[in-house]
Amino acid sequence: MEPSENKPIIVVKNLSARFGDNIVFENVSFNAYKGEVLVIVGASGCGKSTLLRIMIGLQKPSAGQVLYQGTDITHAAEKDLNLYRQDIGVLFQSGALFSSMTIKENIALPLSEYTDLDSEAINRIIKMKLGMVNLTGYENHRPSELSGGMRKRAGIARAMALDPRVLFFDELSAGLDPVTAMELDNLIIKTNEALGTTMVIVTHELESIYKIAHRVLMLDKEAKGIIAEGKPLELKEQATDPRVKSFFLRQLPTAPAEPRFYVN
Amino acid sequence: MTTQSQQDCQTAYKIASKWRDLNIFIYLTGEFGLRNLTVFTGDVKREISSQKAQSVTIDFSQVCYLDSAAALAFVQIEKESAAQKIPCRLVNLNDESKGIFSVIHEDALIHPSFKSEISDDGFIRQVGQASLDIARDFVHSVTFIGELLVALLYTLRHPKSLRGKDVLFYVQRAGVDGLPIVALIGLLIGLIIAFMSFLQLKQLGANIYVPALVSFGMIKELGPIMTAILVAGRSGSAFAAEIGTMVVNEEVDALHTMGFDPIRFLAVPKVLATIIVVPILTIYADFFGIIGGLLIGVTSLDLTTKTYITQSIKTIHVFDVVTSLIKAAVFAGLISAIGCQRGFQVRAGAQDVGKYTTSAVVTAIFLIVVVDSIFAVMLYYIKRY
Repeated sequence: MEPSENKPIIVVKNLSARFGDNIVFENVSFNAYKGEVLVIVGASGCGKSTLLRIMIGLQKPSAGQVLYQGTDITHAAEKDLNLYRQDIGVLFQSGALFSSMTIKENIALPLSEYTDLDSEAINRIIKMKLGMVNLTGYENHRPSELSGGMRKRAGIARAMALDPRVLFFDELSAGLDPVTAMELDNLIIKTNEALGTTMVIVTHELESIYKIAHRVLMLDKEAKGIIAEGKPLELKEQATDPRVKSFFLRQLPTAPAEPRFYVN
Repeated sequence: MTTQSQQDCQTAYKIASKWRDLNIFIYLTGEFGLRNLTVFTGDVKREISSQKAQSVTIDFSQVCYLDSAAALAFVQIEKESAAQKIPCRLVNLNDESKGIFSVIHEDALIHPSFKSEISDDGFIRQVGQASLDIARDFVHSVTFIGELLVALLYTLRHPKSLRGKDVLFYVQRAGVDGLPIVALIGLLIGLIIAFMSFLQLKQLGANIYVPALVSFGMIKELGPIMTAILVAGRSGSAFAAEIGTMVVNEEVDALHTMGFDPIRFLAVPKVLATIIVVPILTIYADFFGIIGGLLIGVTSLDLTTKTYITQSIKTIHVFDVVTSLIKAAVFAGLISAIGCQRGFQVRAGAQDVGKYTTSAVVTAIFLIVVVDSIFAVMLYYIKRY
């Protein structure tokens, strides 16, 4: 599904984050539009994950706002924040499944907390969600019995349990083999196209970016903010900024300076 | 990393030197690596400084093994010679040796050691930092206790929100699974008190007071305290480690993003389960303590079982039993709250989990003793008036 460009579901306004004297980023502003797959990229340490944590309400920014459908979630009361959290789903880097529960119990948790469905209906939904992520038959397994890729897929099933409007992914394919990473990419595309869910994804896997992203935001550590925004292939082909070019073309920023190594 | 085949390479190295006028030629043969680094570096330096040299040439043609540490040592020798205005050349390196030399970063020669880069904080700064840490810890603990009380009140008002399955699980883990060790420790404590008091009281012919001493001591102090310490060691630490690991695995973050209050979800079942089981375990410890005393009483004090039990019952007052159980419940609240709070303090890594697990046990035991002292004074005045 192509994003409807004129309907921002999330508006990030002049967002800043700092830890003590260390400024992570400053005055970051962008929109996430309904139904789009927005990918946030950047080198390690540029603040991608911090930005994501602020957007999902896990961390307060030092300045600025995150508006979800017009409501400021950065300064919202816990009650309003909980309403926002029921509208979003998050997949953490490690999957973050509750290890003491089975996969079925993990997915059932938000359903039993926020709905008045009976156990039969909940079971049907669990089966459907597991089917969507290709994990049918793993209901009674514990997270420790699954592989890394399966855990991520189960995490996606849990994140999608309440049919969220926005899905957030932190380091989607980190630590996965190329085939599993590709399966996840396909799952993202399928879910986005079928359900129209807005997706905000933090990653630096170029192959995934070209495949799944409608739009890319690039954060930079030195600039302490966004240095590029656009469609991935456009950024690859038209970028003039050497930092953007080097990222999308997988090249070192400049030719190595004076060698600092001892050569006989 | 070899210049000849590994089989031909001799583990021992050889250094030969030849002087031509004031120029020294050092010929290296064999293996040069981390294992003999100190020795061969010393040998080469000795050769160079044996006479006043104008130039140094080190020949690598017979070197059959060279690792990066050895190459770094030769670069260091070269630099030191250059600093003394003695040109030093490393010659006849084959391609593999050149490759090893090419990865040596010059920074490795510039920085003298890592230790010098670690700043040594002054005493006052350390005291200040430690005070700040204690103050922060106190604020964190008070905040957590406040949040826990709010969560407990919420659970009381909305009993359906309580995860009953979790409460039962922790009742089993902290209570049922702890029964054997509590019984054993209670029995041994009873035996010890009976035996120690018997040694003293027999001199006065007052053996008949041993049952009173054992039952009074067990019910008033030792039963609740020993049980609480055991639960702190078994369950307080387990709670801290469990929650700490969940923090590390982002499970607590996941709870937040799903709109669950982690304290209500994770801490409340543990606290309630512990408050339920510790008084029961205390009764159990008291009972086995008295049994322990009875064993000594019957076998060593010539008391009949009936006399021992009658004497014990005479000493036990309902007030003491009730206050002892209240005390046990308070200890239980402390142990579980501290265990959970320390777990939530974990930020990253296995080291943090270990640190806060230890801290959970130490803090809980310390607070048990402090609260017990407060109870002792309080009960004295309550009984008096």
